[in-house]
Amino acid sequence: MNPAVNNIGSSLDFFVVVAIALFSIGTYGVLTRKNMIVLLMCIELMLNSVNLLLVTFSKYYGANDPQIFVFFIVVVAAAEATVGLSILIMAYRSNKSIDIELFNKLKD
Amino acid sequence: MDALIVIFITGLVGLFVGMMKKPVLTLSITITGLVTAFILTLYARSYESIFSKYNGLSTSPLTDAFSLLVIGLTILIVLGGFNYFKKDKEHTSDYYGLMLFSLCGALIMIAFNNFFMFFLGLEIMSIPIYVLVGIKKSNVLSSEASIKYFFTGSFATGVLLFGIALVYGATGTFDLLTINSMRGIAEPSPMFHIGVLFILAAFLFKVGSVPFHFWSPDVYQGSPDAIMSYMSTVVKVSALCAFVTLFSNVFMDSKHVYLIILEVFIAISFIFGYVSALKQSNLKRMLAYSGISNTGLAMLTILNGDFGSLWFFLLSYTAATICIMTLSQAMDKIDSEDISNWKGIGYKNPIIGVVIIISFLSLSGIPPLTGFFGKFLILSNSFQNHLWLVIIGLISSVIGAFLYLRFIVLSMAKDSNAEKICLSPLHFVIIGLSTIVLLFGWSILLF
Repeated sequence: MNPAVNNIGSSLDFFVVVAIALFSIGTYGVLTRKNMIVLLMCIELMLNSVNLLLVTFSKYYGANDPQIFVFFIVVVAAAEATVGLSILIMAYRSNKSIDIELFNKLKD
Repeated sequence: MDALIVIFITGLVGLFVGMMKKPVLTLSITITGLVTAFILTLYARSYESIFSKYNGLSTSPLTDAFSLLVIGLTILIVLGGFNYFKKDKEHTSDYYGLMLFSLCGALIMIAFNNFFMFFLGLEIMSIPIYVLVGIKKSNVLSSEASIKYFFTGSFATGVLLFGIALVYGATGTFDLLTINSMRGIAEPSPMFHIGVLFILAAFLFKVGSVPFHFWSPDVYQGSPDAIMSYMSTVVKVSALCAFVTLFSNVFMDSKHVYLIILEVFIAISFIFGYVSALKQSNLKRMLAYSGISNTGLAMLTILNGDFGSLWFFLLSYTAATICIMTLSQAMDKIDSEDISNWKGIGYKNPIIGVVIIISFLSLSGIPPLTGFFGKFLILSNSFQNHLWLVIIGLISSVIGAFLYLRFIVLSMAKDSNAEKICLSPLHFVIIGLSTIVLLFGWSILLF
């Protein structure tokens, strides 16, 4: 690694650790929580940890393309949240609950 | 890449025309756009594209072949699902619009040149499908399938993005060619390997391979027939194409890390898919589980970067899937999802019987049908380096042949109570086309 502009110094590690922590919290939440809105929030948390990581690397390499990637991720996350919330409402209408464990009719 | 623009515009126009609530008009606009895109892709080498300067997507004869496959499959699915879609006059154009937008993503997934386009293609392909799976709003199973697919899918997206960010951190670029040129110059950092493993996990999810296969039977069962055949053909083709592009070439540096993981998962996919399919009583679940095994076979091509045989195998697999799913849609009087309802169908309707026999024999890999040559090419190319995988693949093929032959025997049983089915002309054309591919597809190899 040969950074062109490295004015972020030794705090790079700090940002990476925070991003990984956020990602882990999000993953843990997706795997354990039952409320679907909380699940959506955890997925957003995962995407935002990626944003933080990309911005950190952008500063580290002095390059702009990760920041543009972050914009794409934000747009896609918004689209996903829109679709997800509408699917959630549809599911609520048919099941009268947003507990993910109640959706167990499809099985072998 | 003109085909991409044409398909996108067709989708938009179709959505607006849909306001007139004339399903046939929407269908003809959609088909016109798709056929134009097909022809543009077919002759893409012989004229100067207006987008030749754009370096996010790169086309080659290889990507053209894959694009032709997905566009052709979409044409068949759009036609085959029409009888089902037109029932819901208000929303016919929504089905077609979403399907075309998803196809745009699939085309991007085939031709991408950097991680920007790869990520965008994956999302453009996936998000419409989350909606399409749950489009039967009043159906409980459909909304459950949609929920499951959405949450697992967006979780996989998060994992994939994390992997891309780590690979960027290790290499400092999103461009695949630049990462390629760094290969072998310096020992990549551990961050690169970890990033590659994250991307591998996301891919295993998207193609529906062990250990992230659990969503596919549920989602296939809950979604409408046409959407299920779209997911098991177009989505699988483009995801596998992107999988092979990235892993057989770009990520070679960390091959020692992921090779053993990939091999083990391919081996488990082989056996697990067919063995679980044996005990299914639902046709869609059976196809989903046997699709896991077929995906494992297609993933063998990652190990040696063999695009040609991947294309040929996918051609045979998708043609057979389209054939079976179109038959299932044609049986609208009885519940075609229950396998026991297929008893005697082939005996009572000889033409359907022949089609069932051809498509299932092709899936199980009996010569001289196309499916045999697809399997043979992949296995013979992996013979030298991955002998044990080839042996497991052959064993799983035997289990698969038993599964498919059992279905053929069931549908050809003498049963005078079986339903008489008359195929609509549309279904007849689709089944005829895919049967021709299954019978004579091997002749492509002669060129």
